[in-house]
Amino acid sequence: MAATLFAKFVPKHGNGHHIYGWLPLTQTVRHGSKAVTRHRKPLHILKQKLLAVTKYIPPPQPFPRGAYPSESDHNQEDNGLMLLQKKDLKKIFEDYKMIAVVQNNCGNAEDMVILKHRLHKHGISVKFFPNKVTRPFLINSIYCNMAPLFIGPTVLLVSKEPKVKEMLTSLRASPQMTLLGACIDDTLLSVQGIVSYSKLPAMTVVQGELVSGLTMLTSHTASLLQRHPAHLSSLLQQYIKQQNPNNGTEASPTAEQAT
Amino acid sequence: MAAPCKATVVLKAVKKIAVQFCPFESNTRSTREFLALVGSEKARATNINCQVVSTVKHDKSEPVVDVTYVDGEQLVMKGANLTCSEMMSAFQSRCTNKDPQTKAAAKK
Repeated sequence: MAATLFAKFVPKHGNGHHIYGWLPLTQTVRHGSKAVTRHRKPLHILKQKLLAVTKYIPPPQPFPRGAYPSESDHNQEDNGLMLLQKKDLKKIFEDYKMIAVVQNNCGNAEDMVILKHRLHKHGISVKFFPNKVTRPFLINSIYCNMAPLFIGPTVLLVSKEPKVKEMLTSLRASPQMTLLGACIDDTLLSVQGIVSYSKLPAMTVVQGELVSGLTMLTSHTASLLQRHPAHLSSLLQQYIKQQNPNNGTEASPTAEQAT
Repeated sequence: MAAPCKATVVLKAVKKIAVQFCPFESNTRSTREFLALVGSEKARATNINCQVVSTVKHDKSEPVVDVTYVDGEQLVMKGANLTCSEMMSAFQSRCTNKDPQTKAAAKK
């Protein structure tokens, strides 16, 4: 498949004779099959055989690799960044009243930015921490029951005021964020707990209801006493009359028995 | 550890994926990783009509993944004792079986 390249086509003799010859400027180049192709070039049979013979056969595993947790490297030193992140976590748990744990499956940053903006309007901030830092921190603190929540891609939503209803509406707008649980006022809540927390009325309303329920009897008595004393005396006389027929009927059989 | 061999998860033949788990249990790791892979934007972009629904419960129930395909078949995977890679391979093998034409065309 050799071909010759005409580098220069030069007449050897003059114009009259018209004889064209070949100067040593011609070059013979082997071409036809390129080394670098756009498609996957089929391997030469020898190369194929070599690869088949030298193929890697892994040693037989008794169980798959991810089935059991690894025993080694449980105690690794905390590097500076991890210490800093643990300090941040401690501050967060002290400062913020509501800490919600959400699993995010969103891949693009645009959705995340929109969600952050929506939550920022209500004073909720979004925090990212690696699980390797949060899990040991939580296990060593009083929040050890939150530790199993932190598996996979997780995000913390923290806020100083427990604005649960707004958080739920914003999360419902983005379908790929899954609410896992929350720690509100040092109380660990599941999803149902969070929903019922959001349905609770405000503190002042609850206190008002409690106070009114407790003072119902006393307020009734107070209102009775505030009425006209003639009304009160008539009520008391009626009460005595009600007692008297009972006393009258009870007194006579005892008298009969006595006699 | 548990990422699938293919870069993206193709959901063309899937109608709905319902994942339910209880996050306070310790056997939910594989289910949560499966959800993260399937619910990512890349996977969802392959089929916009496919719904990925996740339910979080607190009743110590087992983690379950319920996949409904376009032709009516259902695949139920109980993720308590499965690894993520096993679930992914089972799921993807069925997906490729259901959707051979587009796959073969893409490969060729």
